[in-house]
Amino acid sequence: MSLESKIPLLKDRALMFKRARLFFEELQLIEVDTPILSPTAPIDLHIDIMETKMHDKKVGYFHSSPEYAMKRLISAGLTDIYQISHVYRYGEEGSLHNPEFTMVEWYQKGCSFDKIIGDTLSFIRLFLGDLPVRAMSYRQMLLHFVSIDYLIATDNDLRAYIKENSDSAPSSLSTWDKDTLLQYIVSFHIEPHLGKNELFVLKYFPASQAALSQVQTLNNEKVAERFEVYFEGIELANGYHELTDATEQRKRLIESNKKRLLLGKEDLPLDHNFIAALEKGLPDCCGVAVGFDRLMMLRHKKPILSEAIAFAWSEL
Amino acid sequence: MASQENTTDLKPGYKVEVEGEPYTVVGTEFVKPGKGQPFSRIKLKHLKTGRVVEKTFKSGEKVDVADVEENKMRLLYKEADAAVFMDDKTFDQITIDLKIIGETEKWLMEEILYDIVFYKGQPIDVQPPTFMELKITETTPGARGDTSGRVLKAATAETGAKIQVPIFINEGEKIKVDTRTGEYVSRV
Repeated sequence: MSLESKIPLLKDRALMFKRARLFFEELQLIEVDTPILSPTAPIDLHIDIMETKMHDKKVGYFHSSPEYAMKRLISAGLTDIYQISHVYRYGEEGSLHNPEFTMVEWYQKGCSFDKIIGDTLSFIRLFLGDLPVRAMSYRQMLLHFVSIDYLIATDNDLRAYIKENSDSAPSSLSTWDKDTLLQYIVSFHIEPHLGKNELFVLKYFPASQAALSQVQTLNNEKVAERFEVYFEGIELANGYHELTDATEQRKRLIESNKKRLLLGKEDLPLDHNFIAALEKGLPDCCGVAVGFDRLMMLRHKKPILSEAIAFAWSEL
Repeated sequence: MASQENTTDLKPGYKVEVEGEPYTVVGTEFVKPGKGQPFSRIKLKHLKTGRVVEKTFKSGEKVDVADVEENKMRLLYKEADAAVFMDDKTFDQITIDLKIIGETEKWLMEEILYDIVFYKGQPIDVQPPTFMELKITETTPGARGDTSGRVLKAATAETGAKIQVPIFINEGEKIKVDTRTGEYVSRV
């Protein structure tokens, strides 16, 4: 796609940045801009971090989301904040991914899980219009689309489903753990069907996929207060009722680092200031991150992400 | 041991070996569920059969690079059930079974350079040049009138290939053919 033909979309991008800021002004959130580079790194099993050389410390890590720094601000008393930021993820390139992308992230103190979902839907509707909404829990979704109850299903049940429903099952299937098996089924057998002409809210993830969210017991099921929003099979948002327990947070980060090592990845330096902020006290809050480039892509009915940004990595 | 390539780094054109079979990569797709496990879905074309399959890998999984080489060789002569090619530089000769040559047999002509694909040192595929100039050995007599080239008739070329040619082409004339489609391009 020529750069010239992107100009109308790029003008609309500028308009949508303006509208996004107006939206947050109405929500009474204030804009912050935290650093992209840090000597510590966000630690997530499946998100790889880019590095650069710094003048004093050996390595600077590019943020994959401004989450830790924003939570430090919240802990210090700047509680209702948003950020529109470029974020970086090593190795993520494809029709729906670019290694550098624009993320809109916000947090609100004392906000309920339902309210953050509602606000996220309102934000998405700024871009995509007044779409109807359907919501399901992770468990309901698996039952509805593939008739699997993940609480009961064994790893081998999940493997059998994949084998029966794939032309050629992945050859390393026998070594995959339950979360990987579930993520494969969701990615290839469910996600493409989510949000056809509607916004689909997926909420209450298995506790094992909690990331930085609180875990609750709901009808005897341990679930994470985490949600995602999909439109036309594409994930647009990921939000949490935020974990505030410093001990649990440290445990999860260390656990992620251990699992990274097991996968043959490098472990990453822990952000002790982030943990200290939680120890000092993070007020009860909810937060969400939304992919701005994907919203622009869908708003303009473009088939690939690179057509919704001025310069994709492959175009530089 | 064979060298390996990370499945996330595969690009179209790469030659890989999956479950003991040689493939060329024809497409790649990066799939990542939210904060979950990323996957690479790779579309592969079998180097011998041409069959296209899709394989999914967890990102970070590796595949063997297929021991595949391509070499240009000149056809010396055809035998009953094989053809003999020569490397212009080394003068090495190789006899390739017509079963391996397959569909390409109808484009075999002495003195022409062919792309030969070797897997583990054995020839597995013979590709003709994209365009070839061939003499028409058999067709109905040329008809005057329509010179647009849009009205076609059946003809046989010197290699045995059946080609649809414009009605004004006569036996003994040379034509240019696109070997990918088997279609007439022009009179030579």
